[in-house]
Amino acid sequence: MSVLKICTKSFAASLGRQSERSLKKIYRISSSFRTFSTEGKLEYDLVVIGGGSGGLACAKEAVAQGARVAVLDYVQPSPRSTKWGLGGTCVNVGCIPKKLMHHASLLGEAIEDARSFGWRIPGNAEIDWLAMRDAVQDHIKSVNWVTRVSLRDNKIEYVNGRGHLADANTVVATLHNKKEVLLKTKNVVVAVGARPKYSTAIGAQELGISSDDIFSLEKPPGKTLVVGGGYIGLECAGFLNGFGYPSTVMLRSVPLRGFDQQMASMVVNEMEGRGVNFICKCVPESLSKTLDGRILVKWNTTPGASGGSGQGEDVFDTVLFAVGRKAVTDSLALDKAGVETHRETGKIFTTNEQTNVPNIFAVGDVLHRKPELTPVAVQAGRLLARRMFGNDKTLMDYDNVATTVFTPLEYGFVGLSEEESEKRHGPENLEVYHAFYKPTEFSIPQKDMSNCYIKVICLRKEPRTVLGMHFVGPNAGEVIQGFSAAMKCRITMEQLLDTIGIHPTVAEEFTRLTITKRSGMDPNPQACCS
Amino acid sequence: MAKFLQLAASRAFTTSLQRLRNVFTVSDSETFMEKVLNNDVPVIVNFHAEWCDPCKLLTPKLEELVVPLPGIDLAIIDVESCPELVQAFEVKAVPAVIAVRSGLVVDKFIGLVDAQNIEDFIKKLSKQMQTNAT
Repeated sequence: MSVLKICTKSFAASLGRQSERSLKKIYRISSSFRTFSTEGKLEYDLVVIGGGSGGLACAKEAVAQGARVAVLDYVQPSPRSTKWGLGGTCVNVGCIPKKLMHHASLLGEAIEDARSFGWRIPGNAEIDWLAMRDAVQDHIKSVNWVTRVSLRDNKIEYVNGRGHLADANTVVATLHNKKEVLLKTKNVVVAVGARPKYSTAIGAQELGISSDDIFSLEKPPGKTLVVGGGYIGLECAGFLNGFGYPSTVMLRSVPLRGFDQQMASMVVNEMEGRGVNFICKCVPESLSKTLDGRILVKWNTTPGASGGSGQGEDVFDTVLFAVGRKAVTDSLALDKAGVETHRETGKIFTTNEQTNVPNIFAVGDVLHRKPELTPVAVQAGRLLARRMFGNDKTLMDYDNVATTVFTPLEYGFVGLSEEESEKRHGPENLEVYHAFYKPTEFSIPQKDMSNCYIKVICLRKEPRTVLGMHFVGPNAGEVIQGFSAAMKCRITMEQLLDTIGIHPTVAEEFTRLTITKRSGMDPNPQACCS
Repeated sequence: MAKFLQLAASRAFTTSLQRLRNVFTVSDSETFMEKVLNNDVPVIVNFHAEWCDPCKLLTPKLEELVVPLPGIDLAIIDVESCPELVQAFEVKAVPAVIAVRSGLVVDKFIGLVDAQNIEDFIKKLSKQMQTNAT
């Protein structure tokens, strides 16, 4: 009630003038819209190609520093014709819908667990795919809209067109109606991100889908094959399985390649325990349509690999390819300005986000050898804009970036994997503390705790700096976030063990570590509070 | 169940009929100029979005209350279809409702408010109209 009063009060103050201004505004805006859509050459301090996490953060900060900025955003439809609005991968086909579907999936599990706590729940909980999908898509659309409003509020010119370079100071935007807008600019930031790759199997593009499509799929996915063992593949298989759709993951080599492999195996064990089927060391050879409209997939052992599940075939309702993402740099005509990119991945080589061309920069997933994460793109974009238009000289620190894999039992970590720690320092210079633990809330519903495990890697030499912290368990993202701040402060093992935990939580297990791998002692928990 | 369906069907039919009279959608500035700013009667303008749950509750409620009133029109604007209007009225959140009389904005509220508040809002608008008429 008081909020309503405030709204009308501040509004009443300028009633007459407001409507006059509104009238004039409508005319002015409509007319500016019209001239903009014809061929015009305009001067900018910065044109950002790509309206995703990195691009928008950079643009907003640049405007805050006084620059004149335009943002181009365009979504090339997926092979399945899926499109989406402003905001980039994270908002539309990445982090946001993924987390919502992961959460929706866990809620189904929670409903069942609730019975053991005394809740009387009639019948069995079943997911209504369309209702869930619509709820997720409605949220995404509201974010698209707020993003657009925010660009307008920040006085950033937004062009819904496909950008490419005519030269180092000219960006050409091709609109839907094929009209071209030329934007003359002092600087360019490329933030076009990446899109899913498809496997080379016959029929992959025609019959398969990708993460571009799953979050808006028009009918329930049914029995699904996920090709790819990276985090996208595992997360998708995880929530689909949680919804009750029989899921299979096909791994070409190992799960979560590049991540700590011991932790990756915990994640996979957990998924297997929940009914996800894993086909190891295999690649799909062909996809074909069956008479009843399903998909027959034939696979074989990965060339050069030994062991694994071996040759096979099966019928699925949906095949989702999560075999990697390719930077969207092919159509940018970067060669017109002489920007160097990686021959295979298409990613851009940068030093402090600057390409080999002094006035052309890049942020986000399009960067060569940098973490493909929204907060990384956002921070890099922001700092870059400050360096370009403000007085700040702060460089982006890509180290010790925390991240979480949102599989049914989540895996969160910050810092180095055990493999990387050994590579950099040698195993004799490391101490690895580890423990299995039992979340209090898991006992009553008798949930499987065998994969609830944590690990901390530190240097043996004083001051025993912590190199990596790894956690598999519920709410891993929430657990690890605070520790990444500690890592930024170069926390030592002594400081960590000196920290008093909050009880009962799972995060406190980091403060209770006593057993090292070197000691050979049993890392399984003895009792609760001792 | 059958009775409910009957009721719902007759209601939809009545609403769609009356829709022709004093409830309409606006999707461009020209129509807004003509049917809202240059309207003889006061107009309640409802900024609405398909993806917005509170909007799905508010818009039908507004329709229900405005339709039987002879001297008030209701204009529904989908924020996705008309960015210029959204920008002109600085609409940052939906649902947003403004009251327009003789080309002037005389009142507004943002968000889903309860039925009593909506009724008071509409009453206030018709009262102003009456005061002016005398």
